[in-house]
Amino acid sequence: MENKPSQQKPAENTEVNQDELILQQQRRIEKEISESIALVGEKEPLQSLEREYLEDEVYLSKAKTLGQKYSYIRRTRPDGNCFFRAFSYAYLERLIDIKDEFEKFRELALKSKDNLVSLGFPEFTVEDFHDTFMEVIDKVGAGTEASRLELHKLFNEQGYSDYVVVYLRLIASGQLQREADFYQHFIEGDRTVTEFCHQEVEPMYKESDHIHIIAMSAALGTGVQVRYMDRGAGTEATAHDFPEGVPPAVHLLYRPGHYDILYP
Amino acid sequence: MSFEGKYNVKSPAVKRLMREAQELHEATEEYCAHPLDDNLFEWHFTVHGPPSTDFEGGVYHGRILLPPEYPMKPPNIILLTPNGRFEVNKKICLSISGHHPETWQPSWSIRTALLALIAFMPTPGNGTIGSLDYSTEERQKLAKKSLSWQCDSCGKIADLLSKDTAKTPITEEEQHMLDTIALKAEEASTNEPSFSSSIENVSESELRQRRMDTQPETHEQQEAEIIVNPQVETMSSSNDLFWSILIATLLFAIILLVLRRLFLV
Repeated sequence: MENKPSQQKPAENTEVNQDELILQQQRRIEKEISESIALVGEKEPLQSLEREYLEDEVYLSKAKTLGQKYSYIRRTRPDGNCFFRAFSYAYLERLIDIKDEFEKFRELALKSKDNLVSLGFPEFTVEDFHDTFMEVIDKVGAGTEASRLELHKLFNEQGYSDYVVVYLRLIASGQLQREADFYQHFIEGDRTVTEFCHQEVEPMYKESDHIHIIAMSAALGTGVQVRYMDRGAGTEATAHDFPEGVPPAVHLLYRPGHYDILYP
Repeated sequence: MSFEGKYNVKSPAVKRLMREAQELHEATEEYCAHPLDDNLFEWHFTVHGPPSTDFEGGVYHGRILLPPEYPMKPPNIILLTPNGRFEVNKKICLSISGHHPETWQPSWSIRTALLALIAFMPTPGNGTIGSLDYSTEERQKLAKKSLSWQCDSCGKIADLLSKDTAKTPITEEEQHMLDTIALKAEEASTNEPSFSSSIENVSESELRQRRMDTQPETHEQQEAEIIVNPQVETMSSSNDLFWSILIATLLFAIILLVLRRLFLV
């Protein structure tokens, strides 16, 4: 709507102005979001979700049913990275209490770098992301009450938090490319798996779809349950397990365009 | 390094940039780049014009501005040496620079950006932001002149590049990245993703050839569309006006005739 006036200007300026206007508006929105919503918020009782929808019957009834199964929600910043951020936070938080699963995950994370390099990712930068990823894992891995505080602190520091997201995006991309024959069937349009990864998985701020979740859970051998809350029929937010039949280690709430963390 | 006291070396972005500074520390015959003494987020670079092009023998200097979110967001490149392909003192539009942030990948680096810049110099500008389409003679003249160009903070740029250090060979991965970058630019301006499936089989030069073949028309078309659109609208609306006036006049005439017939008898 704010772009309207520039359309009246001489044609040679149109392109530039549009570009600038869109960028400006995008920056404004990004700034607003980053000032008002933490990267990863505090644990809130699920009633806070109901309060959002006092005027909306469909969502309210779904929020109420959700309240029977889950006690808490932890919100994440809607910046397009929310699935990866929510997933990694929830998973690392769970691993604080489960020592042997943590060790297994750490082992897998250690090996992941060589896997990515052998798939053709540039070693120089992958190493950089991997080092920081391992640093975060090791800081959280102590398994004490301080680990929770550390996790929360690191995930709210833009630098560390984004590095974790980048590395998980690389792992998901690696998984898709390693089993490209299988995943090719899920990709819409005329793209190869590698192109899809370059366009939709590896760049930051790209939103996640089913295929990202499937790849992530397969790469780490972790079950994820997503509750889908939308305008669809029924009074319950539909549950979807990735992969099917595996008990979920991470619970997420999906509302169109956004993921938050749920706690049973 | 002199940055250690000034920046939080624990910050991943700072660590990453110091790492890149280390990697690019030694000049090659192809490019060199270093952060400014007082600002890790602004770099100066020098690149050699690619051989067998209008820019052969030329040496081009410029600035790289790194956003605070680097490497999540792409670096911006600004050329300072007149070259006839990119405007100077203006953020330039490579598909990996700041004007198209959605195609940037955090696993790319400043080296990737410089390689992309070199690869892009011989491609047609087609009026995209910051592009120039000078003739071969003008570019060759500028290439010769560039050898005596001086940067206020780096001095004579022709001396900055190494004469004997062979360039670090482009690895297979990097070649692949460069292909992707080039392809992205192509898609962005032509909206023809159909090439993508054949990318594995074509060499870069072929690809470039194709881009030269296809880009001008489609791009012109696009631009023409943009320019023409408002005119079409006004034309169609003035057409409408013309017809309504005509119809109204005819109707009026008929009514007049009917009335005359009725009352004059």
